[in-house]
Amino acid sequence: MSLADLPLHDMQRAASLDALCGIVAERHARGEATVLLAGGTDWVVEQELKPPRGDADPRPLVVDVSCMAELRGITATRGLLRIGAAATYLEIRRHPTVIERAPMLAAMARELGAIQIQARGTLGGNLATASPAADGVAALAAYDASIVVKSVRGERRIPFSALQTGYKQSTRAPDEVIVAVEIALPPEGSPWLWRKVGTRRAQAISKVALAGIAVRSEDRVVRLGLGMASVAPITATLLQTRALVLSRPLSAITADALDAAVLSDIAPIDDVRSTREYRKHAAKAVVRGFLRDLGAPV
Amino acid sequence: MTTAAQNASSARPPFIGTNVPRTDGASKVTGRAAYVDDLPREPGELFGATVRSPVPRARLRGITLDPAFDWSDVTVVRASDLAVNEVQCITAEQPILAADQIRHAYEPVVLLACADKRKLAQAVRAVKLDLEPLTPILDPEQSLAKVDVIWGEDNVHKRFSITKGRADLPDPAASAAAIEAAIASSEVVVRGRYTTHHQEQLYIEPQGVIARWDEKGVHVTGSLQCPYYVHKALVHGFDLAADRVHVTQAVTGGGFGGKEEYPSVIALHAALLAQKSGKPVRMIYDRKEDIEATTKRHPAICEIVSGCDRDGTLRALSIRILMDGGAYMTLTPVVLSRGALHAAGVYRWDDVRIDAVAVATNTPPNGAFRGFGAPQTIWAIERHLDRVAQELGRDPMDLKAQNMLREGDTTATGQTLRGSVGVAECLEKALTASGYHDKRKAPPAVRGRVARGIGASVFMHGAGFTGSGEKHLKGRVAVDLLPGGRLRIRTASTDIGQGTETVFRQIAADATGLHLADIDFAVPSTSYVPDSGPTVASRTVMVVGGIVERAAREVAARVRAEQETSGGDFAAAADRLLTKEREVTALVQYEHPGWVTWDDSTYKGDAYPVYGYACDVAEVEVDLDTLEVTVTGFWSATDVGKAIHPVMCKGQIEGGSLQAIGWALWEDVVWKNGLIQNPRMTNYIIPTALDAPPMHVDLVEAPYAYGPGGGAKGVGELPMDGGAPAIAAAVEHATGLFARDLPLLPERLLELQTNRKG
Ligand SMILES: Cc1cc2nc3c(=O)[nH]c(=O)nc-3n(C[C@H](O)[C@H](O)[C@H](O)COP(=O)(O)OP(=O)(O)OC[C@H]3O[C@@H](n4cnc5c(N)ncnc54)[C@H](O)[C@@H]3O)c2cc1C
Repeated sequence: MSLADLPLHDMQRAASLDALCGIVAERHARGEATVLLAGGTDWVVEQELKPPRGDADPRPLVVDVSCMAELRGITATRGLLRIGAAATYLEIRRHPTVIERAPMLAAMARELGAIQIQARGTLGGNLATASPAADGVAALAAYDASIVVKSVRGERRIPFSALQTGYKQSTRAPDEVIVAVEIALPPEGSPWLWRKVGTRRAQAISKVALAGIAVRSEDRVVRLGLGMASVAPITATLLQTRALVLSRPLSAITADALDAAVLSDIAPIDDVRSTREYRKHAAKAVVRGFLRDLGAPV
Repeated sequence: MTTAAQNASSARPPFIGTNVPRTDGASKVTGRAAYVDDLPREPGELFGATVRSPVPRARLRGITLDPAFDWSDVTVVRASDLAVNEVQCITAEQPILAADQIRHAYEPVVLLACADKRKLAQAVRAVKLDLEPLTPILDPEQSLAKVDVIWGEDNVHKRFSITKGRADLPDPAASAAAIEAAIASSEVVVRGRYTTHHQEQLYIEPQGVIARWDEKGVHVTGSLQCPYYVHKALVHGFDLAADRVHVTQAVTGGGFGGKEEYPSVIALHAALLAQKSGKPVRMIYDRKEDIEATTKRHPAICEIVSGCDRDGTLRALSIRILMDGGAYMTLTPVVLSRGALHAAGVYRWDDVRIDAVAVATNTPPNGAFRGFGAPQTIWAIERHLDRVAQELGRDPMDLKAQNMLREGDTTATGQTLRGSVGVAECLEKALTASGYHDKRKAPPAVRGRVARGIGASVFMHGAGFTGSGEKHLKGRVAVDLLPGGRLRIRTASTDIGQGTETVFRQIAADATGLHLADIDFAVPSTSYVPDSGPTVASRTVMVVGGIVERAAREVAARVRAEQETSGGDFAAAADRLLTKEREVTALVQYEHPGWVTWDDSTYKGDAYPVYGYACDVAEVEVDLDTLEVTVTGFWSATDVGKAIHPVMCKGQIEGGSLQAIGWALWEDVVWKNGLIQNPRMTNYIIPTALDAPPMHVDLVEAPYAYGPGGGAKGVGELPMDGGAPAIAAAVEHATGLFARDLPLLPERLLELQTNRKG
């Protein structure tokens, strides 16, 4: 179906986050779907891929959250960066604190899609769609971010490590709205890497993307965050690799050990964008690249 | 005094060679131009849709319309409704709708029309095809081996052979033995197998037409390159007299060959629905349907064996070309022919044997695409000579320069080149501008994990139809005199974004001394433009532009004669002439230069009256970790004979080169069991602005004595030919990886690297 043929949907805005939670909860209880429309860059595209709907078929209520004050804004207080779920990538990449203190996130936002997508797309949408190829989610994985969610039952924080449970599955309840993400900022000047291996320079979905953030003390990495897109059913957090790197001095890390750890952390597949073999190769190569920059002899 | 008169009387600098504003530019940038889907809805109009086969090969046992669905306002057309079920192309072997056999995925089976677009989409799903799937043949080598017969008697769409020198023997076996012997006796023998893949045209505007019937017959307006091809298909499909079929081109958003033969199919479909429903029918494909169902570039496998002297003099060449025609033959013979005619490259060979064959597979028919078979074989010969150079320890461009055709040399078909051979100048210019030799001599530059390399290709492309094509075609153009001393060009050569309208106005203006604003360009419609031949084959400017020039001159001469006898200015004389004669029109037909001789039965002689030449240089960076290739610079020096409009001419070269870069590095139709896995712009990867390298284009002008405007030759297809081999040579320079197969995706380069290590 062509997008131009998308049937009309009821659309509204909510007066407040509480009101929004109320609408979602009520509809959910009645078994009715609600779409929170932020940038629309995932949802609208998905509609095109769906079989055509008749006038009588049920359609979800679309609630525009792109202007909801509680979901917007980027703030930093005492080492905690909070990014509203509906802040756009363009706002993220242009925010002085992000540029200064979370440059990896800014780099990710600069390479996501292209300017048109960056002007609309949001981390809330990226997280909710929960594609293993999501670039923003890979960056959040490396920061070990917390996801702030809210429902009529109240607000809670989901640590990244507890978020994803399977392909497009998460511990967020269906009636929980994503409010923001929170990142404990690493010390200023911490080494980082954003390396996207895409199908081309722009408007590209990742074949492999690595987000890395490290805190180094002499010959050791003392804190390490890694997130990798498109190499497993969920965003890979590369726990074996992290453990290996933290376990020994940089000078004692070998390429073979690193490669083996990376391979044990990922489960890539062949798909329309790339191959399993290439993804394995690229995953190893980009992790080596990051560790090389940190000073490991790999 | 009117403008026309002023300009006709006072000498002005020529328009040819200058960059006048495009005459279609303003309407396109302001959005005023009406593409087919922008045309106003006609009263009672319906939308049309196509039910297509979900499998590549099957027996069609039946068609059921879901009884639960309300069909009352849906028009249904199936094969059994058709009096003639043939799409007239070269022959008429392709059905308009599949009747009992499904020969490729997405083959049209049922046509539907309905006023409500969304109901129409549901109706498509309410048609159930009863299919008995059969094992498809998807690989052309299997088709050639006849593991099963899926087309004709032996799956073969067409065969050609070209022979020269010692291999020029009537008996194929004797000729094959002779070329083998000639190669075997050479000092250096090199063999190689080179393959190329599908490419989707991805014009910005998908296919679309509107069809309606009235007392005058059938009217089709659409996005198309060749109004008379569609005309022919409708005449055949509805068994109508020629004057009852009216085909009009709407503003067209690109074609690249994709709107050469395919519009006949969609036009027949819409016209059938319009006939049955009695209402106008609009059919517009969305991107997915367009990518899945319409034509693509023919994949090709080329096996080359060559012999040369130690000093690099090329001697003997044997090439076997296998092209995948897809499920129906359509234009495949012509694509194969052009592929074969370009297979020997831009080089002198003493002895040649080229065997070209195209076979059917159970995939959508492949068709016309910029370059028309030549990019496939030029990829092979350029890569092969790179291999020969390796073998000889020579720089490939030195080897190529040593063997390049010069004026007076003969090609593989025995054609003696009579001039306008600008290839040496192209080579010199492109290599110098890019610093090729210095960069090539230095060891591959590796900075960190990035290696830089440079590579080049040199090639030629025949302008106009092959052989006797133009003679048979007899392209015609009319130029009318209008009141006030203005002229109107009537031609079937369409502007599909490449600038035909503007360039023809320049040619006509300079031929007559009139101003650009005094020249009209009639919307191409078969009801009132003569058949100038199709808008293909790099022939528009060179062939049709030449007739425009003659026709315009003829009309102006008659006005001038009137001026001389009875005085007054040009406009006054024109008006007097029109009063006297009512109609003043020159209808001029193309004439091939007398010396052009071609024998279709032996494939010998002047394959093209003239060739365009070019040398491309690509500089790349290869990420040694991920094997991603970035083109950091691209140079092309191209001999166009004469650039009528240098900016648009360079635009053709830049755009064509980028399309070649896309084909080389990213564009890949991903197939699974005969179905396309990436029919969307998100996953059929063409270059974005960020992927496009800085381009440096040099125009070389070795005028063609019979070309318009002071010697123009064709330029449309040429720039598609050389990008891929230049990039592959650059990647090889950077990494040592010698690619024989396109595309050069990082995944493929990884395989090459793994195999080299293993
Ligand atoms: C051309 C193009 C290029 C792209 N390139 C990239 C790329 O390079 N990398 C990449 O990762 N992605 C890419 N994407 C995908 C997309 O842009 C991102 O996933 C983006 O982050 C989605 O955000 P959005 O605000 O547009 O989501 P929307 O489409 O508005 O929403 C997506 C889903 O999230 C839900 N949702 C939105 N906000 C909330 C919330 N606050 N709480 C709960 N649920 C919510 C919606 O209900 C919906 O189901 C691309 C998309 C396109 C069209």
